Amino acid sequence: MANLLSAIPITRPILIALVIGGLGGMAFMTFLIEFDHYTSTNAFCTSCHSMTYMEDEYRKSVHYNPVSGVRAECGDCHVSEGVFAATWDHIKGGKDLWKQLFGADYDDPVVNALHLPDAAFATRQWFRDTGSATCQRCHVMEAIQGKRADTAAIHREETAGKSCIDCHQNLVHRPVPSEETFKREAWNQMIEEEFGLEPGTAEKLLAR
Amino acid sequence: MPKVSWQQRKVIVLGLALMSLAGPLTAAKVTLDPSNWGHAAGEGCVNCHTKSSAGLAQEWRESAHAKAGVNCMDCHQAQAAEPDAIKHEGEIIATIVSPKDCARCHETEFKEQQGSVHAEAYSLIKERIPAMAANLTGPAVQAAGCDQCHGSRVKVKGDGTLDPETWPNSGIGRINPDGSKGSCSSCHGRHLFSKAQAREPEACARCHSGPDSPDAEIFAASKHGMLFSSQRQRMNLDAPQWVAGKDYTAAPTCATCHMGAAGKLPSTHDVGMRNAWALNSPVSQRQYLVLLEDGGKLEIPAGDPVPKRGEEITKLDGSPAKVKSVVTPERRREAMSLVCLECHSKPFTQGFMRQFDNLVELFDTKFAVPAKGIMADLYAGGYLTPLPFDEPIEFTYWELWHDEGARARHGASMASPNHAWWEGMYLVSRNFYGKFLPEARQAAGAAAQAILDRHLTPDAGHEWLSHPGQTNPILGFGGAYGPEEGQSGPQDQDREAVTPAVENPAANPTPAPAPAPSAPSSQPPGEPPGTGPVAAPPAETGLGTEAERDG
Repeated sequence: MANLLSAIPITRPILIALVIGGLGGMAFMTFLIEFDHYTSTNAFCTSCHSMTYMEDEYRKSVHYNPVSGVRAECGDCHVSEGVFAATWDHIKGGKDLWKQLFGADYDDPVVNALHLPDAAFATRQWFRDTGSATCQRCHVMEAIQGKRADTAAIHREETAGKSCIDCHQNLVHRPVPSEETFKREAWNQMIEEEFGLEPGTAEKLLAR
Repeated sequence: MPKVSWQQRKVIVLGLALMSLAGPLTAAKVTLDPSNWGHAAGEGCVNCHTKSSAGLAQEWRESAHAKAGVNCMDCHQAQAAEPDAIKHEGEIIATIVSPKDCARCHETEFKEQQGSVHAEAYSLIKERIPAMAANLTGPAVQAAGCDQCHGSRVKVKGDGTLDPETWPNSGIGRINPDGSKGSCSSCHGRHLFSKAQAREPEACARCHSGPDSPDAEIFAASKHGMLFSSQRQRMNLDAPQWVAGKDYTAAPTCATCHMGAAGKLPSTHDVGMRNAWALNSPVSQRQYLVLLEDGGKLEIPAGDPVPKRGEEITKLDGSPAKVKSVVTPERRREAMSLVCLECHSKPFTQGFMRQFDNLVELFDTKFAVPAKGIMADLYAGGYLTPLPFDEPIEFTYWELWHDEGARARHGASMASPNHAWWEGMYLVSRNFYGKFLPEARQAAGAAAQAILDRHLTPDAGHEWLSHPGQTNPILGFGGAYGPEEGQSGPQDQDREAVTPAVENPAANPTPAPAPAPSAPSSQPPGEPPGTGPVAAPPAETGLGTEAERDG
C-alpha cells in the first residue's frame, strides 16, 4: 500500500485536483442533503396542486396533529432515511413529476380520487418492501404502550414476520381497500355519487 | 286412547306441509364432518383478539362452537370477490356473518328461516319508512330505530367499509351484502351463541316490547310468564334437545310455542309458521302460508284468492316463484295447538283459542273495519289530504290499530288479561269514541254524520250510544241496577226510560241536570239526542262545537 502511494507522484496539479475534487464532493453531498431535505417538506410536495388533495386528508389525521406535538411531514413517512436512499427515493419519485406533467389530469379532484387506489397500492408495497422503516423513525417497538391494556402485548407477541404496514393502513389519507378485495366498479360508483356525476363517467375519465 | 289418536290424526293432517318446512324433532344437529371446520388461521385470530377484544374472545371460548373446534375464520372467512370482503391481518374475511354463512353448517335452520316473517321484516315495513322515518322524524331514526329491529339494507361503500348508516345492525330482517335476509345474532347473541339464551323470553324482548307489540310484557304478565319466572330452574334451558312436555314441563317461553318442538310437532326456525292470524295489521286477517318451489314463503290473507300448486306468483321482493303447496290458517292453528296439548286438554285449548279469536273478531268488526272505512271516506271525500300524519286523526287511527289494537290482540293471544283489556281494548275504545270519532266529525264537518252512520250502523256494538239516558253509577251518577247494585246483570240494557237514581245524594251535591253520564261523549247543548243510530260528538273536547260551527 505504501509502495503504491509512493509510486504516485504528488505533483501540484494532482494536489489541486484533490482539493477541488474534495471540495466539490463536499459541496455535492451538501447539495444532496439539502435537496433531499427541501424536497421532503410539505411545502415542496404540495407545490403540485394534485398533492393538495392528499394534504387535505393528512391535515385531519393524527400524524398532522398529534397530542405529543411531533408532526410527521410528507418526507418523514415517504422518503427513506440516509442521503443515498433518500436521493434514490426522490429519483424514483421523479416519475410522479413526469405523470403530473404528461399524464392524466391529476389536478382534477375526480381524476385524482379515481387514481388514488393505485397510488395507495404502490405506496403500501413500498412500505412492505422497506419493512416500514420510515414508521420506525418515530415508533419504537419497545416504547409502544397504547391506551388499551394489551396493546404492548399484541405488539410484542403477534407481530412476528410483520411490519407496521401489515396491520396499520388508512391512517393518514383517504381510506382505500386492500388490493386483493378492491372493487373498481364500487370505487368508481362511490366517486361518481360523491361528485354528483352520471354513472359511467368514471370509466370514461380513467380511459382518457 | 282418544287423545293420542287425535294427535296422530293431526300429525298426518299437518304431515306434508310441516315436514317440508321443518327439520327433525329438535333443532337440527350439524351433520357435517368436522373436517369442514377448524380453519388453520383461526388460532392467530384468537391469540390477538384475546388481547384486543378480550370479552368477545372469552364469549367464543365458552361457546359450543369453540368446544367443537369452530373458530373465527370458519364463520368470518370470505372470498375476495364478495362485496364486503376485507383483508384483515393477511386473511380475507367479512365482518358480517350472514345467515348464508351460518348455513355452511346450519343448513336446516337457514332454509326454515328464509322467507319467514322474521327474514322479511325489512320488506314488510318498507312502505312505512318514507312516512315515518323520513317525514315524521328523520333518517337518523331509521338507523337507530326501525332498522335495529327490522334490519337494515347493509350498504358496502366503495372504499370497502360498511356504511355506518346501515351498520352495526342485527335486525332480524337485515338484507346482507350477500343477498341473504336475516341476522342469526338477532336472537343468538354473539359470540356465545347459547342455546339456553335463545330459549329465554328475553331473547325476543329487544324488539317484541314497547307500545305496539309488548309481547315480552304480555308474556311476563301471563300465567305462562309467571310460571316461567318462578320455575326457571326447572326449565332445563341448557338441555341439548328441548322438547316441550318431555325435556321440560314447567312453562313455555316464546320459543316453545312459536318455534319449539312439542310432542310430535317438529321445531322450526320459521317463527311465524304457527300463526293463523296476522295481528299487526289495520284489520286482522287469517293467513295462508304459501310454500314456494324455490324454498321461499309467502303469507296470503284468507280473503284473497288462494293460489294453486304450480301457479306462478310474485314474491314480496317482486321476483316470480312457483307455488309448491299451501298451508291453511286452520292447519297453522292446529300446529300451534299441538304445543298447547302437551300440557292442556283439547277442550281447554280450543276454549282458549275461541276466547282469543273472539277478541280479535270483536276488534275487527267493532273498531277496525269501521275505522278503516271512515278513514277511506275521509280521504275519498277530500276531508283529509292524502299525505299521512299531517292531520291529528291520522295519528289517532294509526295508534288505534298499530298500538292499542295490536296490544289487545297480542294480549288475548298470549293470555294477559291486563293487555287484552286495560292496555288494549279499553284504550281502543277510549281512542275510538273519545278521539277518533270526534276528530272525524271535525274533519268532515256537515258530512260527518252520514259517514259515521254508514260505518257504525252495521255493528250493533255501537247501539249503546243511542241511549244517552241510561245510567250507571260507575262515574258517580245514577244507579242503573237499583239499590241492590250488581244483582241484576248487565244484560238489562233497556233502561232508557229509567230516571237516573242518585244513590248517594250527599256525594253528588250538584248532580248535572241534562246529559246523562253513561255515554263518554255527551252531546253539546242544542243538538237533539239520537240524531242517528250513533249519537253525538263529545262536549268536553270542544271538537263537537267546532264541528257544529263547520256544519
